[in-house]
Amino acid sequence: MSGAITLTLRGALDGPLELPGLAAAEPAALGERELARLEAWHGGRRTVLGEFFEVTGGRAERLVVRGDLRLVEGLGAGLAGGELIVEGDAGPLVGARMTGGRIEVRGDAGHGVGLGMAGGTIVVRGNAGDRVGSAVAGGSRGMTGGEIVIHGDAGAECGALMRRGVVAVRGTVGPYAGRTMIAGTVLALGRFGPHPGRWSKRGSLVALGGIEPPATYRYACTYRPPHLAVLLRRLRGRYGLPILDEHLTGRYHRHCGDMAELGKGEILAWMAP
Amino acid sequence: MRIRGTLIEDTFAEAFTMRVARVVITARSPRWAREAALKMTGFATSVIGCKCEAGIERELAPDETPDGRPGVAVLFMTMSKDDLAKRLIERVGQTVLTCPTTACFDGLPGAPDRVGVGSALRYFGDGFQASKVIGGERFWRIPVMEGEFLVQERFGMLEGIGGGNFLILAESADAALEAAEAAVEAIDPLPEVILPFPGGVVRSGSKVGSRRSTRLIASTNDAYCPTLRGLTETALPEGVNSVLEIVLNGTGPEAIARAMRAGIEAACRPGVVAIGAGNYGGKLGPHHFHLRRLMAGAGGAA
Repeated sequence: MSGAITLTLRGALDGPLELPGLAAAEPAALGERELARLEAWHGGRRTVLGEFFEVTGGRAERLVVRGDLRLVEGLGAGLAGGELIVEGDAGPLVGARMTGGRIEVRGDAGHGVGLGMAGGTIVVRGNAGDRVGSAVAGGSRGMTGGEIVIHGDAGAECGALMRRGVVAVRGTVGPYAGRTMIAGTVLALGRFGPHPGRWSKRGSLVALGGIEPPATYRYACTYRPPHLAVLLRRLRGRYGLPILDEHLTGRYHRHCGDMAELGKGEILAWMAP
Repeated sequence: MRIRGTLIEDTFAEAFTMRVARVVITARSPRWAREAALKMTGFATSVIGCKCEAGIERELAPDETPDGRPGVAVLFMTMSKDDLAKRLIERVGQTVLTCPTTACFDGLPGAPDRVGVGSALRYFGDGFQASKVIGGERFWRIPVMEGEFLVQERFGMLEGIGGGNFLILAESADAALEAAEAAVEAIDPLPEVILPFPGGVVRSGSKVGSRRSTRLIASTNDAYCPTLRGLTETALPEGVNSVLEIVLNGTGPEAIARAMRAGIEAACRPGVVAIGAGNYGGKLGPHHFHLRRLMAGAGGAA
């Protein structure tokens, strides 16, 4: 077994590329030639992965993909184990429906990061598009487990329909974060955009950088949520997020909502000292 | 064998297998973590009358706890897995949940066998409780008048050892107590072991059963009672007028052996005639700690 499999994009893409063969395969069980023969779709044409990527290595738990991958859809989709490193920007649907393993995007990622994921970890070093951790098209619930960490900003509807798990964003979060959220946690060090937590049943939006709770949320109290210290210490220690000691020990305004729904959700807004 | 003039008797301590959990209690200050731990480990000297045995293992610095607050590690032991869950639910519910600012975590995260604690205590929340899964572990947030109580859903369980012991046979009650205090002081800093009795010391060692009643499962160990010398078949060497026992529970045989060695070494001092141990002839407990083997090579052994 080699140390890593490397897929290097041969040239710029002129249209979306999907790699369903890679999503369905276990790279650790495949050699170079087998990997190159995996199914790919480009411009409505069925082809093979090797047409677009130079494959080196094989039978490894670690997969490295290199190049300008903004037009490649679903990198790491369905991942169940091992590690995927994307060296560059990634297209939409990174890690969609993944159940385990770890994905790291060393650039920006398109929309739908971790859509419907059930387990594992996704780390995006840059920005992420809309609907991080949300539901796949037509799905009734978003991610049901795992952790997504965005080191840049995240787009609209982050955590929409989320059922369980954690999405942590170092930067700002777009509008409608946690829309119709069922449970789970969306946390941002930057500011939440407008309409956070609309129609959420349960779940937590944790705002370390400012938030405007909707009118359908009711202020409850100002206190120290004990579970946040556990979560924040994990995010700082494991993912290097710049969580301050003041975040760990500080007090938070708790707002209950959405009262237009079940009302068992919450917005926890950090009180800067 | 003698250590600084004290005879190490050629005998062994007989201990038995118990189920053990490590409960990590954190709080806003060491004081409140300690308050909860003291209440939780109160009346937990022996399964004979308390249904569990527990003690404070050590205090924890903020960087050793899951929430970064000061804490206390408690070792909590029962005879069966079912009992462990029942007693933990009772005690965490009555002594930790009720104590200001505390949170309660599993201190054996690597133990594959787990018992539900927070999963039962959550019902105190009357439907207002909420859970969070952090790092694959589920925690329950139970609303209370002060704010929120956080408790881990499941606690790890290991097979531990209860009933490790040694006897301090001394010329006087004062000498026995001084030696017992020295032994406790030597054992206290050691990890993975607790001394469940008051101050770590037992003055009322027991024998199995009773001469007078079939309902009593334990009664005074008359062979070691100095006031009964002449009335009963005594086990006391000449010159012994008081006996104290140190009882040790731990997470495994190595922890017990290490602590017994440290305690016996400290207890061998002027006024202590001999160090003995309690056993049932090897019929009850599978763990035997032979005093002379333990103390071979100890400082001053001859």
